[in-house]
Amino acid sequence: MTNLLRKLSVTSADHEDDGLRGDVVAAALDEVPAYCEVVDGHLKDVIEQTGEAAEAIVHQLLNVDSLAEVMAGDVAQLAGTLSRTETELNRVTSGNDQLVGRLIAYFLHRDQQIRRLVDQMRELDQHVKQIEEVSRATNILALNAMIEAVRAGEAGEGFSVVADEVRKLAHRSAEAAHGIGSSIGDLTAKLDGVLSDDSQFDSDQAGPETSEETAMTRRLGGIADAQREMSEMVAGILKDTVTAAGQVQRSSSALIAETTGAVGHVQFQDISRQMLEHVAEAVSDVRRQCEDVASYVRDSLTEEDLLARVISVDDLRRKHVMSRQRTTHSQQTGGPAHDDAEPLIELF
Amino acid sequence: MTTVMLVDDSATMLMSLKSILTKAGYSVETAGHGKEALDKLGKGVKPNLIISDVNMPQMDGITFAREARKAPGMRFTPILMLTTESEQSKRAEAKAAGATGWLVKPVGPDQLLGVIKQVLPGA
Repeated sequence: MTNLLRKLSVTSADHEDDGLRGDVVAAALDEVPAYCEVVDGHLKDVIEQTGEAAEAIVHQLLNVDSLAEVMAGDVAQLAGTLSRTETELNRVTSGNDQLVGRLIAYFLHRDQQIRRLVDQMRELDQHVKQIEEVSRATNILALNAMIEAVRAGEAGEGFSVVADEVRKLAHRSAEAAHGIGSSIGDLTAKLDGVLSDDSQFDSDQAGPETSEETAMTRRLGGIADAQREMSEMVAGILKDTVTAAGQVQRSSSALIAETTGAVGHVQFQDISRQMLEHVAEAVSDVRRQCEDVASYVRDSLTEEDLLARVISVDDLRRKHVMSRQRTTHSQQTGGPAHDDAEPLIELF
Repeated sequence: MTTVMLVDDSATMLMSLKSILTKAGYSVETAGHGKEALDKLGKGVKPNLIISDVNMPQMDGITFAREARKAPGMRFTPILMLTTESEQSKRAEAKAAGATGWLVKPVGPDQLLGVIKQVLPGA
């Protein structure tokens, strides 16, 4: 640069001798400010656009974050409701099991009572048979008494009447005993039928009948099994849903963590903005120097002023604030590698 | 609730940091530069922690830290400088002005919250 300035500082006659014309240089430099202005405009535009984009990204991330939080809250509420439903279902199922157990016990007890009653009625049948025996014997005795009365002649006529009446009574007693016996037989048969008959219900599903089991208790057991099976199925669905809800909650938490991390990464825009502002500043320096050179060759700026304001790459290095800028500077100028040993986080 | 004052001329930085801190349960006050932050302190805002950028218009972060220390009740309030600036001389200047720590941008959410836990153990 200094050599160029020396060349530019010679007289106009010398310019032509050196093949260097100040007016040509000034004309060439005249366009530089406008050029730099456009570049500066572009840089400002990039800063503005990245700023707006970064803000929009943060807004959208925050929206995603809010939605994820709402979703996590809803799912947590759902999981809580499902969990309470599962607990309630278990409680109802347990209550139903107990109720059915008590019903089965009640019916078994009742059936036992009926069986004892049937046994007692069958015992009555023995007494009826004894009465029938007594009636037959009485009938024979009455017949014998009539024979003896006939044999006694006129004196036994009255006795013959009594014997005939006794025979008739014996016959009626036998008929009554037979009727009672038949009724007892019918009753016991019907009660046996009540205890063992399941033809009108789920006879196809009935298992082998134990001595204690009846149609009613089998049906109750079937209802209890069906209810338990359904409860287990619903409990399984609830459990799977609670597990799925838990997974959604974990995914939501992960999503929230990711969006928080992404929001943190948006800091790149601030860093890029500052780097671009430094570039814009450097472009401005180049512009100013071009204007100075043009002014100098037109003799409106002294050599001293020009040299005092001349830019250098070392000035640029001093303006860098970021470690990354210094590293890039060293790489571009071939200077010593930038060694920034300072920690990124330091508490004093 | 623990209040953190964020001072930065970048709207993106303010939004980003405010989001991270709010989610972590902190109340957040923001200011676009040191002078605005100082005005807020003068109007009675009493943050438990200040996180300030360094290079800002009107009043830079180091000057703000120095002035903030003079505000009532702010003598021992932690002031963290969060900046792209990595020059050692600036750190020393900030330390002399009363800053508590120096963080170079970008800082991840976990790192930032970790440092806050260190300077505000009870928060």
